[in-house]
Amino acid sequence: MSTNFDDCKTVQTWLQGVHEQSGVSPEADAKRVQVLAAFCARIEKQPDEIIDDCLRDVDGGGKKIRAKGRRFYADKINEFEQQSDGSTGEKRQKANYIRSFLIHNGVLIQTSPLF
Amino acid sequence: MEFKEVVGRRRSIRYFLPWKPVAREKIQIVLEAARLASRAGNADFARAIVVERDKLSKADLHALTLPVNTGMIEMAPVHIYWWGDLQAFTRDMPSRATEQVNMGVLNISHGWTHKFVNEVAYPQVVQVFSSDPVLNAKVTGCESGLAISQALLAAVDEGLGTMLCTYPEGPARQVFGVPDHWTALWVQFIGYPAEGWEAGGQRPRPPLGSLFHEGRYGTPFRGSEETVAQLQAQKMIQEPAPLPWRKEEVRAVSRMLGLPEE
Repeated sequence: MSTNFDDCKTVQTWLQGVHEQSGVSPEADAKRVQVLAAFCARIEKQPDEIIDDCLRDVDGGGKKIRAKGRRFYADKINEFEQQSDGSTGEKRQKANYIRSFLIHNGVLIQTSPLF
Repeated sequence: MEFKEVVGRRRSIRYFLPWKPVAREKIQIVLEAARLASRAGNADFARAIVVERDKLSKADLHALTLPVNTGMIEMAPVHIYWWGDLQAFTRDMPSRATEQVNMGVLNISHGWTHKFVNEVAYPQVVQVFSSDPVLNAKVTGCESGLAISQALLAAVDEGLGTMLCTYPEGPARQVFGVPDHWTALWVQFIGYPAEGWEAGGQRPRPPLGSLFHEGRYGTPFRGSEETVAQLQAQKMIQEPAPLPWRKEEVRAVSRMLGLPEE
């Protein structure tokens, strides 16, 4: 599976959103994309496919969230978090990169706080 | 805290310290503030189920969770599930109005008598409102909202963070066993803020004159700069969002709680 997401619209939307809304620098983009690539490889999906699975077009314009798709990926992200290497915080950060990818593409997804 | 400052400091707090409990007395104060709110016919519109998060089973917490409340429902140690009683007006108004006539609250000077309550106000006003589902929902929502608003302000006055959010009515009915004539309104999350109380600054609002009119629609109500300055001095009007450090604050708080930070 390709890990070059330069032409991948959803990945560019994500990174642009991260820079603009959250005010973080692009320096860590490679790490973000690397984690996304690992997730995509695990579930054998391309980033655009993930978003397509979570959103559908609505008559008259706009998008609607597919609840089933979102639940599926929420579970997959949780599995990814549990099975990633590192401390609890590092695992969570990796999973949150994937959640961030979904969120910046219009898929509202939240997670439980760590405490 | 002075009233105007309480109004000025109220924000929707979305990050709570999950581990810091809220004293029961403070929750009682919040509920008392709601109990004493203005309400039509002195009827019991606003109802609530108070829940300590840690006393909810995992299954019940899950049942009450929506995509939009996930973070808060798990962070806030106390939840108040607000409901509106759709039978309140018809059930309570006759006896409460009678009581108020007896107490000198509703008086001859304004046309109130027992006869008026029983033969006019109740059958011709209250019953008409209550038999129309839209009107009944309007009255119940508005009157309950007054109570909820005071509950929010009381929480702020107690130094707590608070916000309103939606909850799923069907599952909540099952979890709490509420009567059928209660309708779901909002859940009020309460806890200690994990973000600064400013929560990024006071939320921007359109100018006064664009919301409120004078005499007739289209004539903006005109406020004075002097009054604005007075309210700024009294901390009712505060520095608007976004405060310059907000993005850093959000990232730091999110990181602390393990939430997506970017």
